Amino acid sequence: MAEILQYVHKDGFFHRLTPITKIVFIIVTSLMCIITTNLVFLAILVIALLVIAYLSQLHKEVLQQTKLILVMSVMFIIITLITMPNGATFGYLIPKGIPFIGGSFPLTQGALEIGLILTFRFIVLIFAFQIFLISTQPRDLVHTLEKMKMPIDYTLMFIIALRFIPTLQVEGMRIHEAQVARGYNPGSGFIGKIRSVAPIVVPLVSNALLRSNVLGLTIDMRGYRIGKRTRVRESTLQRRDYSVLFVMVVASCGYIVLFMKQII
Amino acid sequence: MIELHNFSYTYPHTVQAALNGLSLPLEKGRCVMVTGPSGAGKTTLCLAAAGILHHEYGGKKDGRVTIDGNDIATYASLSELAKTIGIVFDDAEAQMIFTTVEEEILSALEYRGLEAKVIEERLASIMAITYLTDLMNRSPHHLSGGQKQRVALAATLALGNDVLILDEPTSELDEHATRRIVDILTALKAQGKTILLIEHKYQHFREMVDTLVVLELGHISAMGSPDDVLLDERIRRIVVPDFSGIREMQPAGGAKTDESPVVVAVRHLSYAYGDTLALQDISLEIRAGEFVAIVGENGSGKTTLVKHFNRLLSPTNGDVIIKGKNTRTATITELARDVGLVFQNPDHMFFADTVKDEIEFGLKNLKIPDGGQIIDTALREVRLLHTKDLYPRWLSRGERQRLAIACVIAMSPSIIVLDEPTTGLDGNEARLVMEILKNLQNEGHTVIVITHNKEIAQHCADRIITMEKGSVLSDTQVRGV
Repeated sequence: MAEILQYVHKDGFFHRLTPITKIVFIIVTSLMCIITTNLVFLAILVIALLVIAYLSQLHKEVLQQTKLILVMSVMFIIITLITMPNGATFGYLIPKGIPFIGGSFPLTQGALEIGLILTFRFIVLIFAFQIFLISTQPRDLVHTLEKMKMPIDYTLMFIIALRFIPTLQVEGMRIHEAQVARGYNPGSGFIGKIRSVAPIVVPLVSNALLRSNVLGLTIDMRGYRIGKRTRVRESTLQRRDYSVLFVMVVASCGYIVLFMKQII
Repeated sequence: MIELHNFSYTYPHTVQAALNGLSLPLEKGRCVMVTGPSGAGKTTLCLAAAGILHHEYGGKKDGRVTIDGNDIATYASLSELAKTIGIVFDDAEAQMIFTTVEEEILSALEYRGLEAKVIEERLASIMAITYLTDLMNRSPHHLSGGQKQRVALAATLALGNDVLILDEPTSELDEHATRRIVDILTALKAQGKTILLIEHKYQHFREMVDTLVVLELGHISAMGSPDDVLLDERIRRIVVPDFSGIREMQPAGGAKTDESPVVVAVRHLSYAYGDTLALQDISLEIRAGEFVAIVGENGSGKTTLVKHFNRLLSPTNGDVIIKGKNTRTATITELARDVGLVFQNPDHMFFADTVKDEIEFGLKNLKIPDGGQIIDTALREVRLLHTKDLYPRWLSRGERQRLAIACVIAMSPSIIVLDEPTTGLDGNEARLVMEILKNLQNEGHTVIVITHNKEIAQHCADRIITMEKGSVLSDTQVRGV
């Protein structure tokens, strides 16, 4: 089972960077991809992220998201094609030859372009956050955000939300198996998914609520909220961090110049 | 020293007291083991002793809980109490907050005001005594239930508190892993730690227990040195499961014979999860009316094997044939008529508003008409008829386990498979479950039980299949047929 957004223990380049460098990295990357509307530049960003992932030995984990990306991309493009027609028409979603409904939903170049921009932004964000989260231990993230004066309760909320995604996946699978063993056959497809809601979701939510109670008590009883922490295994900024930060600064400056000149 | 003085507690929005006039001293350096039927208030007692009831839960309290004479309510917060008391809850998964074993334990150490060097030393020693060094970089998703229980214990040990409260720390562990926990706790006790232990496995912990407490319906029904407490025959049956004589409960009709038809045929079955081979070339036959125990350590492939019987898993190689139907071609609904599978955790199935509706769900799935009669019979069989209109999740663990069995037997499958049916049950409840299963066998069902409890296998089953590392190690008939 693919584990979404979970830390993976490795010794790659990105793992060795301090969390602060990586936070700067995702902020810069996200801003770049959100501000620009240039498809070529977005494509370059995607390729750059794949190269970074490969060099940091994280390509396998990053490519695990391919299926999600494909599904979302197709959805983005179809939705924008239908809802935002704009510019020259190059075809129709329903061919003209079909009587009555033929010729509805024109496919326009403008809409296709917006769809592609949204898709590429989405891919950049997914890749960047995936690289960040699989290479950063939650503990380090807690400490870094703590130094940035983020209250620990918020940080814990964030890492716990991520941490329990796979747990809920596994639990959902077990519940599904238990119901199937009782002859339950919700059917496949969309209707089946809707019918399967109560027998799966009710136990899932009830169990999760009980679990969240234990989790909250554990956080208190382990003293994570006392606040006074011994600094141990703190990573300090190394030469590689400075190099990455330098590259980020240069890239940002270059980006601003290109943006001003309306090249991207 | 923690002490409960005539302490009573009622949860918010409930009427019945969960704890009723409990007086219990927990002296320094001693080990108190609390046992009793499910729903007796054992977990509530843990919460009371840790100060959680006073600081986190509402509800009605009477009497006092004190630590070295100071009322537990006067402590500033749970974090303050956490400097003295370490608690391990029964849900191990909920206690894995971080993403690797090492990180989990290290995080617990960081807030104790220790020097960095001391933290590193203690981290290494705790991982060593809990046998987690090899697993230090594993994520929680790649640990077994038993390994998670060990991590939860290690993270709490890391706090270095004088008092340890443990709520069923070995419930998911096999013999070998339980003995490891016993060794760890024995060593801690020798270091002067005070231990409050909620457990059902008295036999494993007998050497280290100073005081044995039996809790029933929120009352202490027996307390004292284990030898004295166990003199009472009624109490003994709660503490020490006694399965003797179950196999000899004679069948009313004809017993299974060698001529009975083969209902489960496994032929050269192999199964791989990704790259890991979970089952290797297993071949066996089970005949109608047999009572089979499948035993083996955690991770030996027991559950993986039985999941093939109703096609929750399909063989990587080989075939599984259920009453003449190859599971590769039969549908799951078809197989659900023949094979009923009761999973280890009953809470994975309950979603209906009443016990009756819960059982009816299975009947509707199989389109069995006239459910009323069948539901009553199934509930009578598991002795839960009085709970028919209750909300399933309000029942005690033991009752929920029996309800899970009722849900399956109502569908009248000829083969009933149960995964660890006695987890978290006291002696009486465990025996009751096994008697119910024996009755089902006598009525003609084939019963297959997965267990790591050797007693169950030896006293109840006609045949014991031992698995190890995905293979069948031995297959023995206990009773000549």
